[in-house]
Amino acid sequence: MADSPEAIKKSIRTYLLVMGALFVGTVVTYLVATLPALDFGGHGFDAADCVIGLLIATVKATLVAAIFMHLNHEKKSIYWIFFGSFIFVAALGGLLALAYVSPIHDKFFPQGKPAHYGDKE
Amino acid sequence: MEIPYVVTPRKDTGLINSKIAIWLFLASEVMLFGGFFSAYVFLRVDADYPWPERALPVIPGLVNTFVLIASSVTVVFAWASLKLRKWRHFQAYMLFTLLCAATFMVLKGIEYNVKFHHQALRMADGAIIEGHLGYELKEGADKHHPKEEDYKTDHKGHKIEENRIYVEATSVTFNTVRFHKDWVEEIIAEAKEHNSKVSLAADLKAVTKPGGKEETLFPAGTELSVEVLNKIADHHLESRENNSNLRTDDLRAAWKAAKKENPGKRGWEIADKVAVDSSHFADQLMTEVPSVSFKVDPPAKLEFLPRDVKEGPTQSRLRDETVIDGKLLESPMVFHYVDALDFRYLAQKAMEPGRNLDPMKEIEKSWLINHNAEIKAAWEWHKGEIAKLEAELKKESREPTFTERYRIEWKDFVAKAEGKTREDRDKVVLAKEQILGPDYDAREEIHAFPSHVEIPREEVAFASKFAPAWNTYYAIYFTMTGLHGLHVIGGALVLAYYLFFGKKMYLSNPEWLANRVEIGGLFWHFVDLVWIFLFPLLYLM
Repeated sequence: MADSPEAIKKSIRTYLLVMGALFVGTVVTYLVATLPALDFGGHGFDAADCVIGLLIATVKATLVAAIFMHLNHEKKSIYWIFFGSFIFVAALGGLLALAYVSPIHDKFFPQGKPAHYGDKE
Repeated sequence: MEIPYVVTPRKDTGLINSKIAIWLFLASEVMLFGGFFSAYVFLRVDADYPWPERALPVIPGLVNTFVLIASSVTVVFAWASLKLRKWRHFQAYMLFTLLCAATFMVLKGIEYNVKFHHQALRMADGAIIEGHLGYELKEGADKHHPKEEDYKTDHKGHKIEENRIYVEATSVTFNTVRFHKDWVEEIIAEAKEHNSKVSLAADLKAVTKPGGKEETLFPAGTELSVEVLNKIADHHLESRENNSNLRTDDLRAAWKAAKKENPGKRGWEIADKVAVDSSHFADQLMTEVPSVSFKVDPPAKLEFLPRDVKEGPTQSRLRDETVIDGKLLESPMVFHYVDALDFRYLAQKAMEPGRNLDPMKEIEKSWLINHNAEIKAAWEWHKGEIAKLEAELKKESREPTFTERYRIEWKDFVAKAEGKTREDRDKVVLAKEQILGPDYDAREEIHAFPSHVEIPREEVAFASKFAPAWNTYYAIYFTMTGLHGLHVIGGALVLAYYLFFGKKMYLSNPEWLANRVEIGGLFWHFVDLVWIFLFPLLYLM
């Protein structure tokens, strides 16, 4: 771990670099979303903008976690604790997504449109 | 008491205890926010209305992102300063971190405040109108440039937002156990203001003792007051208890008799032979008074907030089940300024499979365009500008977005008033408007916004401020940013404790304090990390 005074002094430079990278990432996200010249995909917001925005956010988050939170040189047990929770998040998302692939088959449900379309007409 | 392993690592884990603890906590936080992020995804995927993409002012969000990143860096520097035993540096970095937290919360507060004062309304035809409601004016006041003394006030002296339901009440019927005291007092005060008397329509007669005779509880003409209602309520509850006890006792006796007559039979076999016979205790019954009517003489104009009343042409009902008889009067919602027109929902409904209507034609049939000349003019201007945009984008084989086609924003109104094109609309924005929203006073001089737009009550399908109730986007926006804001406050409190109460520990055991700051810092970085995803998801997508 970067605990000795010398190592800490050295890592100050890294922290500043990461800060710069985070600022640049934020500005790029903003410009991609607002500048017509940097409009990827079709015109306006679309899947390409979504992917680019979330990719940049993920890179930024990784930098914060790896450098500021020192996850780049942490004990294995911390990795298990922290990244283990992501399994549960993925499971939650997955279970919700199941609602789309397997609609509820209930013989008392009105046939035709799925019930969740809630059309009044 | 000495806390073990806060400075030296445990041999088996190789870590200090507090570090394991904070990472376990952060893991639980990942699952908490993960739940909300998946809620966001599913709300968005399944939304039956056009999701408000890029609807929030980006600049405050952008500034807040910078602020949180900067504070993340300074919290690391604060920790490093402690490791290098530089107390003064630690203080400076920590103070900067706290200032960042304060800046973040102030900006968030401004953003929330703007939302809570911004009115939205969905019309019966699906068109959406946004802006600010006006306040009721006295007779003869200038509608467009009212002065402070021109406003009407209610009996409490407050200005009256032009969003009330008015009923010319002839009688008011209260539910004696459910009536809401404040509303009763309000009705009394309003009637008094109209020189109207609210009094019992007929003698309220009741049997007040078991076995007693009917007597007059309150004579006709008794004036409405909370005390009178409370006394009636007390009597009603007493009677109800007495009567239900009589019924229960009679039923118990009936069961006993039936079991005696049919020995060995099961309960369900003899159930049809068991019934309450009220003739056994008719003379012991007291009169229940579940509701009581008061007449309003002469009929008085009563006003209600739309959220408190379900209005009807001849009878309205409050949330506390008070029934107001009387004609519904004109109760329009009046926009003092309109700062956006949104036809996206109307267009989406028109294009639904099975309807396949031309959205432009449907928009032109809408109530707003046909009843307000300023709005019609804005729509005509907008159509011309979109045609230009369409031609421009066609060169790159692109087309205008749904939002561009069907939404007119305040910037468009300003560009139109300043004689500019839609292309220049981002240049009309003043610097402070990036954060505080449109400057209505500056725009009033050029009559940029359609003003004093009256919407009849029957055209209102749903109205709300830009609060969680408006749609699922604002619901999840306030939930997620609110929860995140609470984390910012909590984290800042912990860091402030280290800064202001850490000196003693620094002098006795600096390594321990450094470890504490590292743990608090880990939480702070996590707060930053969540914002890194919230900013693009809520502000840019």
